Amino acid sequence: MSLRARIRDGDAEAFEALFEEMERPVFSHAFRLTGDWSAAEDVLSLTFLEAWRLRHRIDADGGSLRPWVLGIATNVARNLRRAARRYDDALARMPRGHPVPDFSDEIVGRIDAAERLAAIRQAFGSLRRHEQEVFALCVWSGLDHAEAAQALGVAVGTVRSRLSRARRKLEKLAAERQRASGWRQVKGDHDSVVRSVREESR
Amino acid sequence: MNKGEREALAGLLPFEAEPRLPNDRRRLLKEFVMSEIRTSAGRPRRRPLRPALLASALALGAAAAVGVPAFLGGGTPAYAVSRNADGTLTITIDQAKDPKPLEATLRGMGVNAVVDYIPMGKRCSPQPRSTSFLSRQEAQHPADGRPFLIWPPGTDEPAFRIDPAAVKPGQTAVLEFSVSGDLQAAGVWANISRGPVAPCTLVDSDEAPLGPPSGWDD
Repeated sequence: MSLRARIRDGDAEAFEALFEEMERPVFSHAFRLTGDWSAAEDVLSLTFLEAWRLRHRIDADGGSLRPWVLGIATNVARNLRRAARRYDDALARMPRGHPVPDFSDEIVGRIDAAERLAAIRQAFGSLRRHEQEVFALCVWSGLDHAEAAQALGVAVGTVRSRLSRARRKLEKLAAERQRASGWRQVKGDHDSVVRSVREESR
Repeated sequence: MNKGEREALAGLLPFEAEPRLPNDRRRLLKEFVMSEIRTSAGRPRRRPLRPALLASALALGAAAAVGVPAFLGGGTPAYAVSRNADGTLTITIDQAKDPKPLEATLRGMGVNAVVDYIPMGKRCSPQPRSTSFLSRQEAQHPADGRPFLIWPPGTDEPAFRIDPAAVKPGQTAVLEFSVSGDLQAAGVWANISRGPVAPCTLVDSDEAPLGPPSGWDD
């Protein structure tokens, strides 16, 4: 029996295997959407509680469950308060971590990296929520257009148009910031919004 | 979407590294999720009996600690409370049968606490047991110091860690442990009450076993 079918039928061991496989992508996705470590932990837990609740919706046939799980994570991150209310009792039992996590080596060990992260958050925050979600799924989580469409329950064309709107906005933002800072872009040099933000702040 | 397109987009907002949970945190959250779904599936939580539990818990606290093992009837230690170097207490429960000796031990160690064990299919009545519990925000993010219940407990063994300093004069800490069929403490709910706490009368329930119902502090 496939992993899909086993999970749909309520096999907790199969579900545990799904957790093992998807914990990292879900946490990354949640952190990038929320920008908050503790919220991302909540999204991670709630995503899998939701996935278990909604397991009967899984088709026994099909490929990876990655788009489905990331779609749930996207919904949970978007409606975190509502999702948290549904699992109020469970969350009260959720083991709480330290307010500042031990990820110094990877993300905010250097002040420089923290600044860059803040700049990414700022630029990402300038996108509309739907554009953020499509950007995060397609660019950061590596889903293709069809998978992102499946994750979000929208048409493939909608994914394409949201993504191209996001791209136009980010490119415009980068150009504006570069102009404002008097920073000249070498022809063909695709620099990031983040770089320009930092140049501006100097 | 082709590779070049994705790279161009990624270059606009370049995350340098993938945010990742530390391994021990990931393991805790997995345990939490799996324990919740196993409960929701109506199966008892399985937690193997660990004869080595008490020994390792005592070893953990040994540096600065007073170990207080309590024995149930014959020679089986029912629980142990050890004081850590930072003033916190580590509680390990090997047989969650009678909560009152643990409660007495905690009181003896200066924690004004009420302890109850909640078997599967039961909950305390009334709930909430106090009209003056700290809100979840106050309990989890106190203005000064640590929260009363500290996660992770700082040991790989199933244990609970509390900070007595979180309980101010005149306040009462309430600890409710859910207990599986094999007398293992599977989960905990804790809060601090500024006023009186109603005793726990166990009643049949198909709701969540611990703490007040949803929305109590909305």
